[in-house]
Amino acid sequence: MTERQHPPPSGPASSLAVLALADARLPGGGHAHSGGLEEAVHRGTVTGPHELREFLRGRLHGAGRQAAVFAAAAAHAAARKAPRRCWSELDTEYDARVPSPAQRAASRSQGRGTARAGRTAWPSPALRELMSVTDSPHHPLVVGVLVGASSLAGPKDAAAVVAYLSLSGPASAAVRLLGLDPFAANAAVAAFEADTERLARAAARTAGLPAAELPSTGAPALDLLAQAHRKHHEEEVRLFAS
Amino acid sequence: MPAEHSHEHTAGAHRHPVDFDPTAAGPDPFSAERRADRPLRIGIGGPVGSGKTALTAALCRTLGAETELAVVTNDIYTTEDADFLRRAAVLDTSRIEAVQTGACPHTAIRDDITANLDAVERLQRAHPGLELVLVESGGDNLTAVFSRGLADAQIFVVDVAGGDKVPRKGGPGVTTADLLVINKVDLAERVGADMSVMCADAHRMRGDLPVITQSLTDDPSAGDTANWVRHRLAEWSRSDEPVV
Amino acid sequence: MRSRARLVVEADERRSVVRELRSHAPLTLFPRRRREEPSGAVVVHLVGSATSPLGGDDLELDVHVGPGARLLLRGTAATLALPGHRPGGSRGSVRIEVADGGTVEYLPEPTVVTSRAEHEAELAVRMGEHARLCCREVLVLGRSGERPGRLRSRLELERAGTALLRNGFDTADSRLRDSHAYLGGARVLATEAVVWDRDPAECSGDGWALMPLAGGGALSTVLAGDVVTAGSALARAREAHPCGTELSPVAG
Repeated sequence: MTERQHPPPSGPASSLAVLALADARLPGGGHAHSGGLEEAVHRGTVTGPHELREFLRGRLHGAGRQAAVFAAAAAHAAARKAPRRCWSELDTEYDARVPSPAQRAASRSQGRGTARAGRTAWPSPALRELMSVTDSPHHPLVVGVLVGASSLAGPKDAAAVVAYLSLSGPASAAVRLLGLDPFAANAAVAAFEADTERLARAAARTAGLPAAELPSTGAPALDLLAQAHRKHHEEEVRLFAS
Repeated sequence: MPAEHSHEHTAGAHRHPVDFDPTAAGPDPFSAERRADRPLRIGIGGPVGSGKTALTAALCRTLGAETELAVVTNDIYTTEDADFLRRAAVLDTSRIEAVQTGACPHTAIRDDITANLDAVERLQRAHPGLELVLVESGGDNLTAVFSRGLADAQIFVVDVAGGDKVPRKGGPGVTTADLLVINKVDLAERVGADMSVMCADAHRMRGDLPVITQSLTDDPSAGDTANWVRHRLAEWSRSDEPVV
Repeated sequence: MRSRARLVVEADERRSVVRELRSHAPLTLFPRRRREEPSGAVVVHLVGSATSPLGGDDLELDVHVGPGARLLLRGTAATLALPGHRPGGSRGSVRIEVADGGTVEYLPEPTVVTSRAEHEAELAVRMGEHARLCCREVLVLGRSGERPGRLRSRLELERAGTALLRNGFDTADSRLRDSHAYLGGARVLATEAVVWDRDPAECSGDGWALMPLAGGGALSTVLAGDVVTAGSALARAREAHPCGTELSPVAG
């Protein structure tokens, strides 16, 4: 996988698909997911902007990195018109890297939602192939396919989108749950610009590996939060789906 | 109480007197695709405490025997609406889906309807003969309306206890909903609400769109609203609009 | 130091026997011969050296369990990952192949990542269709009051060629370790993967979760401040597993 370091001077600054997929206003169901933050707020471990930033650090480098790796791989596969077998391998391999069933469900639910939005806006043969494997594909794979099918964007863009969403989802939930100053929450996300860039570049470098060899970046504390969130759902009020 | 349709005084080219924005100035021209293989989806929205859940329960009781129906509720899960409906035993538990709205009830019914569509699809899979899905919004403000991608028709519920100025305030819920229900009219005298003002304002704001006044205390079956739903169902099943 | 140890266990007529055993210091394998296990399993103890792995060490253990055979591989003492005089980190790799109908329980003692150590631990298990597995890993980040070095661990389970679990973890920097969305400031990370005849429903408690995997099997994850607390949380997760009582007790 060769990474394009500089876009051609006359080329687009960024693909509209990439911007739209990273936009919180994309109607893909993301607004109902807090990425573990609601449970963290419930426990009193996130109370203000500083704790939010530290929460986001773990979000980005664990779950965010994992999602980025697979989004990049999916974009790589979509650009090469990968056969159906490849999509089913990516699906199985992502499952194997997410031990928490609550997180797998959250990823598939957001994937299904994003695919519903994507089917209308950016239909492609790759999306049809992916949807023929499962009607609820994992979110990073859907984003990867939608980005990869565009000629203006590639694996690194797909990785950056899901890495960014791994930050913006919990940050937006913090604003809603804690009444946090939205400027402070936004700044907490912005603090990870360099990290996100490095992580997206790294994900693009592994995008062409066989699915079984893609890196695994676990975050055990997030697994426990996700499981506790789901358990408490059945016992008491939770406003977010994850 | 009779349905107060207002066709008589709005013949001809009616304009809404208050025009908040272009999308709020009448029923959405881009209505959802009709599909013969899916149930009619009716949204029930309105401010907190206006009686959405009580109306939903009444419709389930009245229509449950004659129609294959199910409910999607957007209120805070496990505590209120879903449990209310289950306890009231108006509907089998498997016919109630609750969705999490991420503390943004209007987003889940309007801007990003993903979670609600997922819930509707789960109900359709579990109950293949489903004819009607009532989607109850979480309590919200007067600007909250259902996306036409989610609800084929929508009922906006306000109540007299919220003040008789509510219809005059307008907002897309009051002005564009396919049916406006003014609820708890039995309380009008006690809360000092002038029903004639409320109804006149409602009709003025809504043009030819129908308004029903009701009291579930006086008529627990919500007969007029149920009839309106029956008409909608009949239209839906007769629909010869293109099937996708 | 480069070390390659190997263990092959096969089923005899009514019990399991060691067919091949090659220790290679510092990895020493001791079959226990005192009495027969009720399960018919071969019990082998894995004895490390007190001063390994050191930076520069590369230790590999290959385990093969034949059809219908059963192995219980235990540790004897905690492993201390230490920095070495030579450049580069240390690496410990255990590869287990379990044929159809075979059973392996791998219950090593905790691995302690000491200050300035740079250790890479890998456990890869390839299972046949109806093989059974229980493997535990307890990582301790630093001796009491000590800032840990870096540990990268990888647990990979495949059954009949399909990935059940690929669980990588990097202790990374202290800010990341303290993040509640990463390690939550825990000093001990313990996991137990169980692929047995039945899978559990998901279940969780304070500091632990028992999580059924998508392709079968389950992973218990525990975060705790000390090894004793981690052990009792793993025990609670076992209690919630429908096959928990069929597993060999941890302290044997």
